[in-house]
Amino acid sequence: MVKDNYSLNTELLYSKLKYKHLLSELELNKKHSSSINFLEKKGIKPGKIRQHAANLLASGALAGSLLLLPSPSNIIHQDNSGSTVVLVSESSFDRALSGQLQNVLPKEVGLLNAEQEIKITHIINQICGINSVAQLEGNRLNQNYGLIGAEQHLPRYPGDSIDQHGEYLQAGITPGLGGWGYFAYSKNQLNADLVQKEKYYVAVQTLYLPDWGTRTAYLSKWYKHRKVIVINPQNGKAVIAVVADAGPAQWTGKHFGGSPEVMAYLKLNVGMQKGPVVLLFVDDQENNVKIGPLEYNAINTPDIIKTI
Amino acid sequence: MTKIFYDHLIKVGEIICELDKYNLTIEEKDEFIELVDGTFHHYTLKVILDNLPAEHHQDFLSMFHLAPDDKNLLDFLKKHSKIDIEKEISNIADKLKKEIMLDIQKSKKK
Repeated sequence: MVKDNYSLNTELLYSKLKYKHLLSELELNKKHSSSINFLEKKGIKPGKIRQHAANLLASGALAGSLLLLPSPSNIIHQDNSGSTVVLVSESSFDRALSGQLQNVLPKEVGLLNAEQEIKITHIINQICGINSVAQLEGNRLNQNYGLIGAEQHLPRYPGDSIDQHGEYLQAGITPGLGGWGYFAYSKNQLNADLVQKEKYYVAVQTLYLPDWGTRTAYLSKWYKHRKVIVINPQNGKAVIAVVADAGPAQWTGKHFGGSPEVMAYLKLNVGMQKGPVVLLFVDDQENNVKIGPLEYNAINTPDIIKTI
Repeated sequence: MTKIFYDHLIKVGEIICELDKYNLTIEEKDEFIELVDGTFHHYTLKVILDNLPAEHHQDFLSMFHLAPDDKNLLDFLKKHSKIDIEKEISNIADKLKKEIMLDIQKSKKK
């Protein structure tokens, strides 16, 4: 390289660059102090983000493996049946989701710390294209990583019977109503959306929420048919469901209940009919995320693989 | 050099090439590059946060700190920002680059 005939007054340049650096840091802090605090709590100084990125790569953290997958906007759409279709091979999807979650989740089901929650929601966003959160509009469940057990079908309208439910009839139907009553006042009012909600419902332990006793009316309304994502971290199977029942009781040792369809899709309808799942709220204010399994479009798989 | 998802918009390379023209020690050059790079990050992050609605800050920062090189972050910003965020980052970066190039010119001595 041809060197310039001039040399630099390095002290002068240093002071000019240092001044710019400090000024930009001050302006950033002044305008966005809460965001900077968030990063600094994670041990990151905004000006040193490249060093942080280098550390992440060196430690083999998330970034590299997540980049192997197509972006969420490319991989997700709704098909005609209303299921959310992920345009990636089933094995890739399952393996990625299961592998990444197991890297973050504790060995035993239990409470997740804030760091784990963030990592998990990021993984779900990256791989499934779903915005999931542990806390939504100030509400959170007592547990997001717990055991789910098999539930029965729920009566959807007065006079509903098990033979009207199509699949998994051996699971039976509850003698009483779900925690939120009937899905429709009559069979005529039962529409496809409500059918889907009963098919893919979960029970959550609202009765053990710390403020359930004091805010029952509000919470009951808020949780009714609240959309959640349920993932079996052992096989990467994921389903979008709604809250439609309360329970199970603490003495059962389980934390969630799943409809026959949910349990079947998660492949937990065998043996003891229970297993560990991650369950998070879906932040879907525009109601774009359809209820049902996150399925795969095998037809597109070869093309997707080429782009990886 | 490790990548950040907006690197292609800020192009610090020109400044590094300019510094290469002078007889700087490795330590001096590294120190200048670190200051320049940090300043670009401050400017860029400010532009991003200025133009991203506050309700999306937490999501963005959560993803950014986990994977600063993830190109999906740019898609996220394009989706949620109030303006053409790529253009804005490029514009601010160009302006800063010109200022720094001028600082280098003004620091020349015969």
